[in-house]
Parts: sequence; C-alpha cells; structure tokens
Amino acid sequence: MTERAAGGKSDTITISADVAQLAGVRAFVREHVAAAGGDAETAADLVQAVDELVCNVVGHGYGGRPGIVEVAFVASPTEIGFRIRDDAPPFDPTALPVPPLDRPLAERRLGGMGVHLARTLTDGFDHRILPAGGNEVTVRKRRRSSTEASDGHHDRATER
Amino acid sequence: MDITTERPNADLAVIGLAGELDGSNFEHLIEAGRLARDGGARRIVLDLSGLTYMGSSGLVAIHSIALLLRGQEPTSPDNGWQAIHDLSAAPAEGLDGALTLAGPPASIERVLDRSGMLGLFAVYPDRATALAAAVAASA
Repeated sequence: MTERAAGGKSDTITISADVAQLAGVRAFVREHVAAAGGDAETAADLVQAVDELVCNVVGHGYGGRPGIVEVAFVASPTEIGFRIRDDAPPFDPTALPVPPLDRPLAERRLGGMGVHLARTLTDGFDHRILPAGGNEVTVRKRRRSSTEASDGHHDRATER
Repeated sequence: MDITTERPNADLAVIGLAGELDGSNFEHLIEAGRLARDGGARRIVLDLSGLTYMGSSGLVAIHSIALLLRGQEPTSPDNGWQAIHDLSAAPAEGLDGALTLAGPPASIERVLDRSGMLGLFAVYPDRATALAAAVAASA
C-alpha cells in the first residue's frame, strides 16, 4: 500500500509495515533529495539512514504485526532530512550504544548496525514519543555547497 | 534483486547479485549460499558489482554465508529479526577466507567499511580476480 496526496509531488509517503515497501521508501527519499538539490552522497546517506530505520520499525517496532509507517521530507535553509513516524511501542534508536566494531566477531551484535549507520551517515538523529503514542525519528543532513562535495564524510562515530 | 549462482568447479560457487539488497530479500541470499554449500561448495565468491544498494541486512546475509561455509548454522531466518541479534554467537577467531567479495561499488564498500566488516573478508576488484584467487586457494 502506497499513498500519495493528490495534486503533484507529496512530501509524505505512508506505507504498510512490510519490508516489501522499502524499495518505494528509498525511491521517495532519492526523489526528494534530488529535488532539493542534494548531491549524490547526501542522497546515498539519507537513503541508507531512512531505509535502515524504517526496516527496524517494520521488523522490530511492529514485529510482524500490521501497522503503518509515515515518512515525510523535511527541509530548512541549512538542512534536509526525513521524519519517520510509527504507531509501534516506544523505542528510542538514538539511545542504542555504538556497536563494538573492533571487537571479535563473537561479541558483535549486527542488529544494531542499521542504527549505527543511520547515526554515522547523518548530521542529526532525534527521537521523540508522539503525544498520541508512537515514535517519531528524524534524520537530517546539512546542505552542502558544491565546493564541499568532495571533502569526504563527516564521521560522527568517533565523537560518541 | 537478482541472484545467479555459477559453479566453476566442484569446490567453488560464484554468487552474483544485481539490484538492491535489503530487508525484503536478504534471506534469499542466505538461501543461495546454503544451496551452494549443500551442493558441495567449500568456497564462495560473492560478486557485489551489480548491487545498487545494500542495507545492513545484507551484512547479515554475508555473515550468515560465512558461517554456513564454516559448517555452522546461522539462526534460522524463520525466526526473522531475532536471527540478526543472535549472530553474536559467531565464532571469535574470525572468518577463514572461504567467502570472498568481488567488485563492490564504492557505496557498498562504504557500508562494509563503516560496519567494521571490510577487514573480515578479502575484497577483490572484480569477479575474475576473485575467481582466480579462489581457484588458487583451493588447489
């Protein structure tokens, strides 16, 4: 199930909690980053972050139960990003610890990897419980001028 | 995502991926690895050159195939997302080179790098180079 508001490009996509919907979410993200003038790297980072977070909502948040996930494009003069809302039990991904990347494989928990990627690939990563219940997670990246485009990734992993 | 498996010789399988590897299809890749292993493959080259996207679920699939080649069983995909969490039961000594990766596009290599998995697998620039190395290793 994919719904778009009538009359031109919608800033919101609402999907059923089904991993089969992830490709549509990624297309939505790519389309909006491009329309906002984001470069390829910004698009790739936001696609990855949103895909990982929505996948977690579907797999963990709803845990196979029916539900919906709403993804909205959000923009300011300095940042572009996406807001993900669900009606699943409260869960704050921003509070998950950074996976121990340098540990032996035996001590790894790959389940936290998606959130780790979402955190390190973005400049803003926030969560709140919605007043009516459910979660809202927002990921944002700073707009970059073309002269910054090749200056590599901003890596927050070492700051946390 | 398209998955194609070739068997250059009895010991070796090459699994080629094209399209987007994500939470909807990573279990298909694990099954392709299992089929190859059950069919006698002791080494697998995973050709990533056709991938346009890989989510962290792809990392789980790669990890699972490496375990299968070690004769170990990743948690059943039937258990869904619990399988991802249970991968912490993987062996401590690291992986032994039975699974190698070929031709990851820059965006895919970045995901491998940021997850700390790049150093666990030999990564070759293309399928032919990876295949030659795998043949040499099994000789």
